[in-house]
Amino acid sequence: MNFSMERHLSMNRPWSRFHALAAACVLLLGATCVLATVDESHDFAMEAATPFVEQGFIVREDYWNGEVKSGQKLMITHQLFKGNEYAFWLGTSQEGVTLDMKIYDEKNQPVQISAKADKFFMSARVNPPKTGTYKIVFELKSKATPGVPWALAYGYR
Amino acid sequence: MKRSLFIRPALSAALLLVGSLPLVAAPQGTKGVEEFDPLAFPGKVVDDVIVPVPSEVFSVLDKLGEPNWNAELRKQSIPTTSDRTKLSLLFGYTVAEGFVAVQAQDKEAVKDIGHDVISLAKSLGLSKSVLPHAQAILDAADKGNWSSIRKEFDQTQKTVRDTMENMKDMDLSQCVSLGGWLRGTASVTSVVKKSFSADRAELLNQPMLVEHFVTSISKMPGSTRDHDVVKAIQKGLASVLEQMDGAVDGFSKDAVNSIGKTCDSLLSEILAKK
Repeated sequence: MNFSMERHLSMNRPWSRFHALAAACVLLLGATCVLATVDESHDFAMEAATPFVEQGFIVREDYWNGEVKSGQKLMITHQLFKGNEYAFWLGTSQEGVTLDMKIYDEKNQPVQISAKADKFFMSARVNPPKTGTYKIVFELKSKATPGVPWALAYGYR
Repeated sequence: MKRSLFIRPALSAALLLVGSLPLVAAPQGTKGVEEFDPLAFPGKVVDDVIVPVPSEVFSVLDKLGEPNWNAELRKQSIPTTSDRTKLSLLFGYTVAEGFVAVQAQDKEAVKDIGHDVISLAKSLGLSKSVLPHAQAILDAADKGNWSSIRKEFDQTQKTVRDTMENMKDMDLSQCVSLGGWLRGTASVTSVVKKSFSADRAELLNQPMLVEHFVTSISKMPGSTRDHDVVKAIQKGLASVLEQMDGAVDGFSKDAVNSIGKTCDSLLSEILAKK
């Protein structure tokens, strides 16, 4: 019994190896693609930041990113300091995506002073009326795919 | 046995793929963003917290007056240790000290801190990823390119934290942030104490960040959570949070003093030679 089982395994092993390797390659390729598009999303966020940098904004190296279901709202809480002006840049690597972003204070009142959307990114500016925790609420809508990669960066001056 | 060697990459790849998709669908509610109510938020809350770098607060203090940043530089020697928790706290502390040196526009202090960064990175086994940034800091210091130095300090910290997180050392990554936040906050309280005003003191209203650190410590593995310095930080943060929660009508001088004392005492523990 043991012998036949071992024989059975050894006969199938080349196929198992092939399948496992193929699966690994496909999954790695998929993961790489997702990571690549998330990185590309950050590139677009940085493209949105370019004119702000020319105006004296300092871009933070840290940023948020991920992939989200099309149309699902996301909320990030973040510390802002009164006296600074902030800009948030939302980017996606996917074409045909509608972006929306709003910033709310501790009393849930919208506080952004301007917002501008482009093909792959949008930006929003805020002069925090108080030092404290703010909420950045955003969504990305795509008619083409269920999942949308995104990256959100910010800067201050 | 051989077979599992071939399956392991597939599993790793699958886990990587799943890990790269952290946000899953949640039922959409009927309320939209226009009627914003966080308690009835129909979407997903992103848990990741980005801790502001000290220069974000320093830039406001600069607008409110002209602090003597040279007086805020500590120029303390970094203790030698093999304790990775302490090294991570020291790394965060040192980078934050770098931001103070940038405000002070002190080239020699920036260079000394750049060398401390290299030394700490070596002790943490992260010199390969940190060296290019540290070298850029030293080069920019020679040229007095302060904006470039500020950017490199931010990048250095991000690189170290990312590398730690890739190595599944989330606790150490949090310790880097903690060390930096404590040093930055100690500087802010020191400046505010010297020239007290409600606007300056309001910069200490950071309860979300303190809560984030308290939660992060509670989720650390036992070996890190039970570390003497981390335990002291956990206790100190509770006291800082109390001061912040109590500052409903603004921070009093006493509250600023108390937060400053707590931060200074915790930094002494981080810098202790033991």
